[in-house]
This record gives sequence, structure tokens and C-alpha cells, in this order.
Amino acid sequence: MAKEGQIDGSNVFMAATLTNPLRVGLRQERVIPPQCLIIFGASGDLTHRKLIPAMFALFLQRRLSSEFAVLGCARRPWSDEVFRQTMAERLQPTIATHPHAWEQFSQGLFYEPVDLQQPEHLVRLAQRLEQVDRQRATRGERTFYLSVSPAFYGSGARALAGAGLLADRQRSRLVIEKPFGTDYASAQQLNRVVKSCGQENQLFRIDHYLGKETVQNIMVLRFANSIFEPLWNRNHISSVQITAAETVGVEQRASYYEQSGALKDMVQNHLTQMLALTAMEPPGRFEPESIRNEKAKVLQAAHLAHPEQPWTCCVRGQYGSGGTAKNPLASYRHEPGVAPDSTTETYVAIKLFIDNWRWQGVPFYLRTGKHLAKRLSEVALTFRDAPVRLFDAAAGGVSANQFVIRIQPNEGAMFRFEVKAPGSGMRSRPISMNFSYDESFGEPSDEGYVRLLADAMLGDPTLFTRSDEVEAAWRLYTPILEGLKQSPERFPVHPYEAGTWGPAESDELLARDGLLWRRP
Amino acid sequence: MVPQFTLQAPLKLPPHAVTDHLKQLWEQPEEGYNGSATFTLVVWEPAWLEQHLARLGLLQDAVMGMQRPCLVDAARRAIGAYGLPSATAPLSSTLAQVLATQPGGNSSYDDLRGQAVDNSISELQPHRMITLAPTINGDQPLDALVAAYCSLPGDSPGGSVCGDVLVLRGGAASIATELDMLPPLIPSQLPCWVLWEGALGEHTDIFERLAAPPRRLIVDTALGDTGPSLRILARRIAAGQAVSDLNWYRLGGWRESLAMAFDAQDRRAALGHVAQVDIDVEGDQLCQGLLLAAWIASRLQWSLQTGHRQQDSSVYHFQRTDGVMVDLRLASVPVGFPKPHAGSILGLRLLCKPPGSREFCVVLCGEASGCMRLEGGDISSRDLVEEIVPLIQGSLEAQETRVLAGGHDTTNPLLATTAQLAHQMLTAMDASKT
Ligand SMILES: NC(=O)c1ccc[n+]([C@@H]2O[C@H](COP(=O)([O-])OP(=O)(O)OC[C@H]3O[C@@H](n4cnc5c(N)ncnc54)[C@H](OP(=O)(O)O)[C@@H]3O)[C@@H](O)[C@H]2O)c1
Repeated sequence: MAKEGQIDGSNVFMAATLTNPLRVGLRQERVIPPQCLIIFGASGDLTHRKLIPAMFALFLQRRLSSEFAVLGCARRPWSDEVFRQTMAERLQPTIATHPHAWEQFSQGLFYEPVDLQQPEHLVRLAQRLEQVDRQRATRGERTFYLSVSPAFYGSGARALAGAGLLADRQRSRLVIEKPFGTDYASAQQLNRVVKSCGQENQLFRIDHYLGKETVQNIMVLRFANSIFEPLWNRNHISSVQITAAETVGVEQRASYYEQSGALKDMVQNHLTQMLALTAMEPPGRFEPESIRNEKAKVLQAAHLAHPEQPWTCCVRGQYGSGGTAKNPLASYRHEPGVAPDSTTETYVAIKLFIDNWRWQGVPFYLRTGKHLAKRLSEVALTFRDAPVRLFDAAAGGVSANQFVIRIQPNEGAMFRFEVKAPGSGMRSRPISMNFSYDESFGEPSDEGYVRLLADAMLGDPTLFTRSDEVEAAWRLYTPILEGLKQSPERFPVHPYEAGTWGPAESDELLARDGLLWRRP
Repeated sequence: MVPQFTLQAPLKLPPHAVTDHLKQLWEQPEEGYNGSATFTLVVWEPAWLEQHLARLGLLQDAVMGMQRPCLVDAARRAIGAYGLPSATAPLSSTLAQVLATQPGGNSSYDDLRGQAVDNSISELQPHRMITLAPTINGDQPLDALVAAYCSLPGDSPGGSVCGDVLVLRGGAASIATELDMLPPLIPSQLPCWVLWEGALGEHTDIFERLAAPPRRLIVDTALGDTGPSLRILARRIAAGQAVSDLNWYRLGGWRESLAMAFDAQDRRAALGHVAQVDIDVEGDQLCQGLLLAAWIASRLQWSLQTGHRQQDSSVYHFQRTDGVMVDLRLASVPVGFPKPHAGSILGLRLLCKPPGSREFCVVLCGEASGCMRLEGGDISSRDLVEEIVPLIQGSLEAQETRVLAGGHDTTNPLLATTAQLAHQMLTAMDASKT
């Protein structure tokens, strides 16, 4: 067993000390039991960008037991030492501030060359795991993480099951990265495969948006406060806007993005999860299955505003060039790896309805895009106008009350309402009441993967998507995906200038309902 | 708390036969009996109070070595029955010591120590649990009880992971004689925790032999006297051993509430201007009070200058990083209905004097106790934040489970720093007396 060194408290909790010194180390986090995390795709991008940093963060916070191990697997013939060395090089800036802790942590890193398509490799892996268990006293607890190309999700799960590695229903878990399927049929097919390899409670389908504290806060705000829930319905809310805007372009991910586009990359998963949390009914109990039941139910009740004519409620866009003379932005079609005549959308706006008692008739507008004016994710609920207008507004029209949940940046919430404008008259003007997570709590919240990895290793599926949720989410957009195949001309990609709020056609989508997109 | 008993009735063996018996058990595994590679748990479980209450007929139940509500109730009845001051904490060593001097009481009782395990611990599937159960009859010869053990069907995957249970029961002297049989029974490749459920400072010979590093220690500084408890805690931590103190866990609600009072950004700056701290504790066991004081002082980077006694209080002077002095007062307050553990915190007042703005005062009161005393002194002229600190939920076993479930081979750095400073405060007080 490796000995974990004495970690200097001030060093470990440095980030938090900048905030409230009494908060440091106070969180009574759930304890992650001793175990081995097995990462397939250990030489890939996600492993060194997110997974190992998340594990190291958990180690620094003392949320990993001393009896932990990470076993990296990929085809290339690395040794334990090469794996440790490579991770150390790639994580250099983080490690530089905690050299001693990294030294201790990296003793728990191991590597085994495994090709998921070679059954005999899996047999060898099983033996290596026994050995790691003995060496690190990890109690046979295992979390397998498929961080390989989505093409391997099904065969990877089968290979693990074939080697008996998922047989222990209590002590083995399987984490599957996004995207889960490319449409309804492929998601169903993949679900059939993975469910034949393990029980649903062993399967953890990642949606890294759910790891964000404020996404989780949507539930707490709604269900821990009695003031919101009575207003949270068609009687009081006139429309809902859900936005995930990025300022970056496609960057190095063109080969992936060309196949995927904004709808599959962002809407089907992240925005739909935000929609589910915003619109779901209160769960009977705060436990994983109750929550996932409600999320699945609301997604099953959701549909495009015009499923028979999906092109009327879906606007696709693609960024053209933009920026400034000093900082010019290339158009999507000029990005490296992108076809010069590409029709992949980098922007999409969609109008939905939810057919249930709570939301009947309330439009939900979803939009996401790359190279937009601001980086932000939020859910904005607009309330109905006051029934009688008693006061004139200082700036012309009275603005409707709005409640905005900010996911990023500056996680928090904002409530906009009318107050009396100063002066002798009785004119009103809107003000905002703001709550900011970082300012109100003495410590920053965890980054998504830290939370998600911890939850998967704890076996808590609350923040992971269940098979029926994934399928319901794909089904929701099937009319668009089918339409795109059958009559792509009905779904043109409208160009928009990089660095703006998207194509004019998207504004029209709302203008038809007498509404405007928020431009926060 | 759901205690779970061993599957088989334990087998009584002469101590010298234990090692062979256990070896056999593992070498010829019955189907599905392959042992879990988890951890070993060694428990020193004197349960003096429980044994005396049972002997005197005040506890109508078997002795189990668990802090059950019926034990606390029986202890409260005994405090009344034997005329002890009502401020006596039911689980304090005082009561057990008084009961030990009471003659008579020959009620017979079952002694099930080590044979019933809290469900939450059994779910962790310990590889081996060894309980040392000293009897109040110091001359009692040693019995060894051995049983195979499985967690409830359904909890364990395939029902195959099992461990075993060993109980050594007899007079403390006879236990000490047989201690050498333990090392071969504790697999070196698995972590081993020693849970010391007695007072620190009692049976130090056994403690020193049992708790040798790299074994990890779980202690409870609320069970013994202040001096030895804090000294042993600090010494073990300084030596690099992994130590958890259940008394420190019980402080969780107080630490959380105090941190919460300063979460709002406009209040955070006031933390740099703390001028006075008052902490009230129940009775004169000061461990929890000193740990809370030392935690505040170390988090705010104050350095200890002096300490002295003043009536029922210990008064400390700290220096802030800006050179300004802080008064910290730890007062022992007798209460009519004390909490089960001695020295529980009653209330906390922290006074900040930011230059150029109104004084800012935080008062934290225990849920059950209120804190009128700390509300005095013209607090109305200050900005006041008053909070009620909820009683910590969850049993002792739940805290132990937390420690065992996510094991660490080092001490939590916060506790480490805090325990060292608490010990320095104790030493400063001792020095002022001489
Ligand atoms: N990167 C991100 O930011 C990001 C974000 C969201 C989701 N994801 C998802 O995460 C997964 C991994 O992404 P990535 O960016 O890390 O991909 P990547 O950089 O392309 O890495 C793929 C990994 O898979 C390994 N691999 C390939 N074939 C294998 C086989 N037959 N058996 C075992 N290992 C094999 C590769 O190593 P060898 O060549 O040595 O075998 C490599 O380590 C993908 O599903 C992606 O959709 C990634």
C-alpha cells in the first residue's frame, strides 16, 4: 500500500483560502470508497484534460481514499511510468503548485495496454485488476470509464461484460461518455447493447452539464422554496428561453463537429437536460429514480412546436467571418478540417411545447451556437404581464418580470421586476435582484467532471441520464433529423456574422410570437 | 443503528487455539467463503458504564458496547439515583467511576460486545473485526470467541464476501498478556484501524501496543480527561499517524454555522478584525471547546501568546497577523440537562471591531441549550448575526463508518493543525499554574 504523505493544509486548500478561511476543508462530502478507476482511452484528450485533473482535485480535497488506483488503458504500449510521466507533463501547471501531492497521487496511477477489440486483452486486464486490487487494497470496487470513440461504446461494453468484469452488480460500474447515439434508433440500439451487459444501476451516461452546480441548483431553487413553485406554470409564465452560447468557434474539433453539428452536440443533451430540470414535476422524493422518472416523463410530454413541419420551428445557422480588424474571426467554412461547402449548423434555435397540465401552451425556446456575442448559459422564465396596467413605465413599455438562472459564467440567479422610478410621478422602471454563487458562498463550486466522477464512483446516478431519458431526448428531435435527411433544402443554414447573436431568422422565430431573444 | 449479529453462534476457544482455527477457516474455504480484502478493525471496547449499569440492574439489556439511547437513558437515571450533580454528562467517565465504587448489584447480563456490528459497518465488509472487551471483574480469565461473518444476503455481491469476528473477553490484565497473538492476525497488506472506544489515558500500555503505526486510529477525546486526551491526540498526529477524533466530527455543525456567518462577501473582511471570542462549554471537560477555539485561531492565523485561569474560565491571548491582540475565553458552564458527551459546546460569540464601522457580533447557540449568557453585554449596539446550531445528526457508528468507508493513511490537515494548537493552549494553561 502506498503511503499518502502529510499534505500541508494551507497548500491543499489554497484556492478556497482566498475566499472564506473558515470554509476551508469544511465540506462534509460523501466519502468515495476505495476503488480502481479504469479509463479506456487513457492516452486520449479527455483523460489528460478532464479526467486525471478531476481525480487529482478529488485527491487534493481528500475525497479519494488512500486506497485508490487509476488504471489507464489504450492500445499504445505504454508502461506505468510512461503513463505517469505523460500525465505529469500534460498537467504541469497544476502540478507545479502541488508537487508533493502529485508525487503521492501518481503512485496510484497504472497503465495496461488494452485493445478493446481483442478479447484476450480483456482477460489480461482482469488479471491486472486483481493485482492492482491487492497492491492498493481497492476492495474489488471498480469504475470503468469508456473515454474512447463513440463507435466503441457498444463493443467496449460487450468486451467488458464478456470478460466478466461487469458481473458484480454492486461493485462494478460503467461510465459512458457523450454522445450517446446519433439519433433515436442508434440510441435505442446502444441502450439494448449496454443493458445486456449490465444493470441500469451500473450504467452512468455522462452529460457534463449536469455536473454544474447551478444546473443542480435549478432543482433546489424550485423545490426547496415555496415561493417559486406556485408561479412555475402556465398561469404565470408566458415563455421560457434556454440558451447555451459560446464565443469560441469549432477550434480543433472540426472532424467531430462536421458529423455532429450544434443540434447533436448541444441541444439533444445539454439543453434538453436543462429543459427537463426546468419543466419537470416535483419528484416525490429526492432520490435518483424519482428524479429521473420525472425528467423522463416531462421529456416524453415535450414536442416540437410543429412536428409535421419541423422547419417552421427550427432555425439553423452557420457562422461567417467576423470579429474586428485586430481580432478577425474566420468563417466556419474556412476553419481547418471543415468542408468548403459544409452545411453543418453551428447555431440552432428551436421552439417546443410541453403537453401537460403545467405547461400547456407555454412556448419553450432553445438556442445554442458557436462564435456568439457572449459566453453564457441560462434559463430565463418570463412572467405574464400584470392583469391591469396602473403605472406608466419610465422607459416606455413595462418590461415583463423575469427570473433568470445563470449556469455560466458567474453562476447565480437574477430576478427582474418593476419598482417606482425616483421622482414625484408614479412611473415604474425595472430593476434586477441578483444572487451570485461565488459571492454568496465562501468557496468556488466544483468543475463538472469532478462532481460527475465522484458521483459515478459513489454509485449515485442522479446526475446521469437514464436510458429512457436519452431516448426521449432523441425522439424529441427526430422530426428535424429525419427532415434533414429527406428534404435538407427545407432546413437551410443561415449565415451569421461571427461574434453576433446569430442569424436574423432566429429573431423572426420569436418575433412571430411577439417576443425577443434575451441579449444579456 | 441496526446491529447485525454474526451468522453462526461464536465458538468459544482457548486463546492459544485462535490463530490455528482462523487459519484453518481460510485455508479450507467452504463454498463462497473467500474473505474480503478490505480492512481489519480492532476495537478496544471497555463499555465500563454499560457494564456497571447492567451489573446494578439499571440497564435491562445485554451489554453491546454501542452508544444506544437506552444506555443514555439508563445513565441519566443513575445520575439521579446516586445523587450526582445533574450537570454530570451521562457518558462522562465520572459516572462510570462513581458506579464502580457502588457495591452489590449482581444482576447477570449477556455480554455481546463484538458480536453485534452496526449494519453500516458490516456493509463495508471488514475482513476481520477484533474486539477487546475488558470486563469490570479484572480477574476474569480470558475467553476467545470466534465466528465467521457475512454481511446480510443482498448486501454482498453474490453473497460470497465474508470476514471473521474475534472477541477477546476477560480482565484487562489477561488481555494485555495475550496481545502478542494479534499481529499475525492483522494482514499487513490491508489497512487496519484501531478504534479506541475508551478514555484516552486509560490502559496506556495496551493503547501503545495496539495503536502502533501504520495502524490508523479512531479516538474520542470526549471520553477521557482533557489533559491526557489532547496530549495523546496531538502526539500521535505529530508522529505522522492517521488519527480521527469523533469529538472533532461532533464539532461539524458549529464550524459550518460559523463559516456560514462569514460567507457573505460583505462580512468576510470582518474576520480580519476579530477582537474577542467567547466559548461556553458544558462542564469542565474542555477538549471540544479547545478544539473549536484552536480551529478558529489557526484558520485566522493567530499566534498564541499566553493563557491563564480566571474563575471558571480559561482566558487566552492571541495575536492577529496585524499585531492586534484577541481575547479568547473558554467558560465551563454547569447545565441542568447535559448532552450525552462531556464538554459539549453550549454557545459561541465572536466580536469583530472593523475600524471605521460598527462592531459586528456573531452569536451561535446550541439547538437545545439557548445562550442567554452570550447575548448579554450590550449586543444591541452592534450588528448582530444570531444562529441556532442544529444538533449533529447521526450516530457514533455513522461517523466511524465515514472514516472506515473512505480511509486515509494521514490525519486530516485541519484536525492536525487544530489539535497541535489546542495542545499548545493546554500547555500554556498548565504553565500559568506553575
Ligand atoms: N475531448 C473532449 O473534450 C470530450 C468532450 C466531451 C466528450 N468527449 C468524448 O470522450 C471520448 C474520448 O474523447 P477524446 O477526445 O479523449 O478522444 P481521443 O483523444 O481521440 O482519444 C481516444 C482514445 O481511445 C483510445 N483507443 C482507440 N481505439 C482503441 C481501442 N480499440 N481500444 C482501446 N483504446 C482505444 C486511443 O488510444 P490508442 O490510440 O493508444 O489506442 C485514445 O486514448 C469520446 O467518446 C468523446 O466523444 C470528449
